[in-house]
Amino acid sequence: MKGWLDERLHTSSLFQSLFAHPVPKRSNFLDYLGFATLFAFINQAVTGILLATVYHPSASGAYASIQTLQNSVAGHFVRSLHSWGANFMVVLVGLHLLRVFFAAAYKRPRELTWVMGGILLIATLGLAFTGYLLPWDQKGYWATTVGTAMAGYVPVVGDFLVRLLRDGTQVTGATLTRFYAVHMLVLPALLLLAFVPHFFFVLRQGMAATDELQEAEARGEDVRKISRPFWPDVALRMAAFVLLVGAALWLIASLYPKGLGAAADPLNKAHFTPEPAWYFFGIYQLLKYFPGKLDGLAMVGLPLIGIVVLFSLPWLDRNPSRRAKRRPLALGLAGVLVLGLGLLTYQGMNSVPKALAGTGVIAQPSYSKDIQPILHNSCLQCHANIATYPGTLKRVTPGNPETSLLYQHITGSVQPQMPFGQPPLPKTQIQTIKNWIRAGAKNN
Amino acid sequence: MDKGSDKDTDKRAVPVTRRRFLGLGVGSVAGVVALGYVGLAFDFLNPPPAGAEPLREVGQTGDFNVNEPRLVTYKGNGIEQGVYVINLGAEGWLALDFHCTHLQCAVNWVGSVNKFMCPCHGGVYDIRGHVLSGPPPRPLYHRVIKIQGNSVMVGGRQA
Ligand code: FES
Repeated sequence: MKGWLDERLHTSSLFQSLFAHPVPKRSNFLDYLGFATLFAFINQAVTGILLATVYHPSASGAYASIQTLQNSVAGHFVRSLHSWGANFMVVLVGLHLLRVFFAAAYKRPRELTWVMGGILLIATLGLAFTGYLLPWDQKGYWATTVGTAMAGYVPVVGDFLVRLLRDGTQVTGATLTRFYAVHMLVLPALLLLAFVPHFFFVLRQGMAATDELQEAEARGEDVRKISRPFWPDVALRMAAFVLLVGAALWLIASLYPKGLGAAADPLNKAHFTPEPAWYFFGIYQLLKYFPGKLDGLAMVGLPLIGIVVLFSLPWLDRNPSRRAKRRPLALGLAGVLVLGLGLLTYQGMNSVPKALAGTGVIAQPSYSKDIQPILHNSCLQCHANIATYPGTLKRVTPGNPETSLLYQHITGSVQPQMPFGQPPLPKTQIQTIKNWIRAGAKNN
Repeated sequence: MDKGSDKDTDKRAVPVTRRRFLGLGVGSVAGVVALGYVGLAFDFLNPPPAGAEPLREVGQTGDFNVNEPRLVTYKGNGIEQGVYVINLGAEGWLALDFHCTHLQCAVNWVGSVNKFMCPCHGGVYDIRGHVLSGPPPRPLYHRVIKIQGNSVMVGGRQA
């Protein structure tokens, strides 16, 4: 068989040229992240095709078809795999990008590989965004409404862009059809079109990690001691790493199966508060720091700058060195950016309401255990500092609920009644807060 | 091809050889075909204009008390849609889109304070949809509204 193929296609020399090179021993699993991303994509493709065989892409049928799917064990698991796989893919793409950045592998002569990687990153985020709408639940519907509304802040063509994304002025069945086509056909095609050259360049130029061997060889050193052959040593390590990632995905998907929220309600009768998928929380949180008219800047300006910097990085960064020590500026800036985004994401996730246990009235409430969670859930979205003790204290007269601003507003004795524009807090929570203030509003 | 090269006797002018002619021909036909695909894609993806919705009846004039906005709902485009219809008495009628102009959460009419309020980032509008406070950059969108006899008809968005 091997001989048969070789005779016709010269496979062994092809194989030799692709896989016979040595890889430095220093190279570790961080250099396999791209490969792991490819695995995540294959998982998405396989589970995605399976889901497509049962999904009804229409506003009237989508939710019910997912509900039916959730009733079968295998179906539910495939959906969990797809949903968790999306998270894996976003994370792996991000880590891969960071690793490549840290190793300075985007520099000459690998600029084009980096640019293709940029397209892959955007296609991945696009897939995550469009996929969010497809189950047609409240979460997806409102995240899509808000997410597409952001395009409206693009100067001049904003309104048209929003209508183009939605195929109308609001998110309707037509939007679902459009997102479905983009999710299933356009973005996967884009992904493959960018992946083929991305991968080809790596094969053609070798991993950046192998450059040091060539330099050593040029100096006449024997590289055998500091390297191991790609085939089979490194290839096996790669496969082992990818299998580990795969096992983690299967484990998480089975331990935390993907749920399905309430069906989309375009009138939002239940006052659902929209929230994005966690990987967009950074931007979501950032908006809170851009008051008033400046938020358009955060929604359009910053992402635009991000994209421009991403694609021009190999030419922006003129520093030829690849050593971390010689790139303090690039690494410093990137460090600040990553930390900032991480912090924003963390904050954003924390400011999202979580379901409170229905504990009833608490006679002796503790600030951190009972009061703070209520404030977190119902006030924090607008009142940035209310859920810290000093922030709460500003609105409270210890011992005297009736003269406390907080109490007055949640009961409506002082207008406007809070939470603003939403149904009042349940009586039990109001009573709990009252009890806490009466007992002296202690920081307990 | 520029016409100048025919008359021009300049030696540097490129003669139209058979190969060049074929190349140009194939190139321009391919260009036209490609443009055709782009045009088709544009036609398919181009969204309907903002005010494209047909007028539809959403109630009788008697159903709407003066200065009490009411969210009327109807089926359209596969989903339940809604619009606030407001009887302003002597000042006539108004139909307001219920999506906040900030990031398009659904605003609620809060009768106790006579305001539209947005639960997402605290946008507040008056009964005519003008912004009172919060981040919304512009008033609520108006929808077409017509009173025909006793029936209240609502249409698409006005710019
Ligand atoms: S969406 Fe209404 S205030 Fe932000």
